[in-house]
Amino acid sequence: MSDVTIAPSLTESAIKTNIHVNGHDTSMLISMRNIWKTYQMGTESVHALHGVSFDIPKGEYIAIIGPSGSGKSTLMNLIGCLDTPSEGEYWLNGKNVSDMDDDELARIRNQEVGFVFQTFNLLARATALHNVELPLIYGGVGSSQRHEMAKKALAAVDLADRVTHRPNELSGGQRQRVAIARALVNHPSILLADEPTGALDSHTSMEIMDLFERLHSEGNTIIVVTHEHDIAERAHRVVSIRDGLIEKDERIR
Amino acid sequence: MERSGDRRAKPQRSSFGLWATVYRSLPRRITSFRAVRLTAIWEAFRVATSSLRSNKLRTALTLMGIVVGVTAVIAVVTIIKGLDKTVAQTFSSQGSTVFTISKNPQIIKSREEFIKFSKRKDVTHEDAEAIGRLCTSCWRVGVAGNATETVKYADQKAENVRIRGVDPTTMFDIDGVTIDSGRIWTEGEGSSGHEICVVGTDILKNLFGGANADRAVGQELRIAGRPYMIVGVLEPLGSIFGFSRDNVVYIPYSTYQKTYGARRSLVVFIQVPTAEQLEAAEDQVRTIMGNRRGRTPGQADDEGYALETQDVFLNLYGSATSNIYIVTIGVAAVSLVVGGIVVMNIMLVSVTERTKEIGIRKAIGARRNDILTQFLIEAVTVTAIGGAIGVGTGFGLAYIISALIGFPLLVSITSAVLGVGVSSVVGIISGLWPAWRAAKLDPIEALRAE
Repeated sequence: MSDVTIAPSLTESAIKTNIHVNGHDTSMLISMRNIWKTYQMGTESVHALHGVSFDIPKGEYIAIIGPSGSGKSTLMNLIGCLDTPSEGEYWLNGKNVSDMDDDELARIRNQEVGFVFQTFNLLARATALHNVELPLIYGGVGSSQRHEMAKKALAAVDLADRVTHRPNELSGGQRQRVAIARALVNHPSILLADEPTGALDSHTSMEIMDLFERLHSEGNTIIVVTHEHDIAERAHRVVSIRDGLIEKDERIR
Repeated sequence: MERSGDRRAKPQRSSFGLWATVYRSLPRRITSFRAVRLTAIWEAFRVATSSLRSNKLRTALTLMGIVVGVTAVIAVVTIIKGLDKTVAQTFSSQGSTVFTISKNPQIIKSREEFIKFSKRKDVTHEDAEAIGRLCTSCWRVGVAGNATETVKYADQKAENVRIRGVDPTTMFDIDGVTIDSGRIWTEGEGSSGHEICVVGTDILKNLFGGANADRAVGQELRIAGRPYMIVGVLEPLGSIFGFSRDNVVYIPYSTYQKTYGARRSLVVFIQVPTAEQLEAAEDQVRTIMGNRRGRTPGQADDEGYALETQDVFLNLYGSATSNIYIVTIGVAAVSLVVGGIVVMNIMLVSVTERTKEIGIRKAIGARRNDILTQFLIEAVTVTAIGGAIGVGTGFGLAYIISALIGFPLLVSITSAVLGVGVSSVVGIISGLWPAWRAAKLDPIEALRAE
């Protein structure tokens, strides 16, 4: 049980006193310092990120925007702990994620990150409930508690009546809401959405964005990665990426 | 709660170094390990069965190799165990207390041997009498000669009946047969060449239409053109390897000699009270026979007679069945290896097909071990099901064959467990490489797959 729920007490006290460790601000949920990501393409080194630094406090609703090839996806993979930076430090919820190994990263992803993908990425053969339970399974939560948590998460996205449906029996918007329930079920530190409306019509897109707004108002930290300006403008802060660097970082509301 | 909070607040590697890090992470690792393993294993099993169910034809074809291998082993082992029991029962009716003296051994292995044996003197009634008189460790001594004849009664006839001329009547005891109805001939009748007989139950079945044994007693059979009166009927013995042991007619040896000539070599049967005395009796008989053939045991290049116990049959049977075992195990090993390769191939396909799924699972927190376990369990589930089906069809096959031939079916739990166990091991071995490939997939690459 103690593995599953995050104990925020001491982290919060650290935020209050603003302790600085190795130059990173512990009051921030996410703190990136001089992040480089370099890929080896044959003999050539390609830099996807050229020393990116920024902080995200707890409870923020932020959009990361940029054209394709800007390094936006690379940055998202790093934030989501799917990858580690070539250089620089990344602190997530008080943990230095920069040099963790695969299994440690898997654990961080399980506990701290809730992913929402463009193409939903639900397991086709599993029911909505089972899809939502999946992070809890890998977190080692017992089955009765898992059921309860998953049902609650589905109810939170208004899908209480679709628990036993499989993805192919659900509309696009409903599938994305199942994915959001799956992302939230473990109470992660961040909700990381990659083009969450990319596969949806404009009406459903608005519904999903409304849902994000509601989740933000309930205290969740939300990061949306997109190339669409009207989606980015729903956020409170927009970070623009171009050529592997932060071009603009503005608070819009 | 307190501990984990503490850890979170101090993310920096402490100055105690690696050991302190390991030590601090220890309680969490151990407690979560069990819970994660169990739920992940159950999840893996669910995924495995649902993926197998959704690809029924593929699963069936994948199973085939394993099924064939396990079926072969289970069927052969079960059949041979059944035969073993039949053989043991059959030979224990005469028992390991009987040995024989004859001109030729039962099994002649080469032409050279045949030539050597045919130069030997015949074993005669006098040899038997000498053994009976001189061998103090011997209990019962008798002689027997065999022939095969067509036996007739009225308009009925039975072919290939074993005619067994015996003397004295203790040969019935040595053969382990007992009278069911009527009587055995008297000593007087036996030594005077009377044409009387004692018949096995197959004679009743084939010539008297299955009539009651009492009705056959007193009737007259015709064997090789001569009339024989039935004085007794034997208890049935049953069959071995499909050959009836009741298709027999016993006649006195003196009568046998009249029909088949005195110059035929006969077989002397010697019985000892208990198996422990067998060796002593054999030594005495060797000395007696050595004297009678004018040879010192162990010095001449041919003893001039054959002394055999039923071990000869049992050894022959044993070496035949052990050869069958070896061949079957070879066939099974080949089909299990081929089956394992098929499973490995299908698992590699399955990993490729489900790359996206692996990516999703990794993105939401599955570790290498979770993915490895999932695919291993899938491979083991396939092969264990194959093994179970193989055990079922193997027993089924053995049942059919045992019913056809007529020997008891011995279902061995050990071989069933072994069948499923060995197939599971094949599953682990052939699943390891595909599972490892799945486990080391990069989540970003995997998510990009379609």
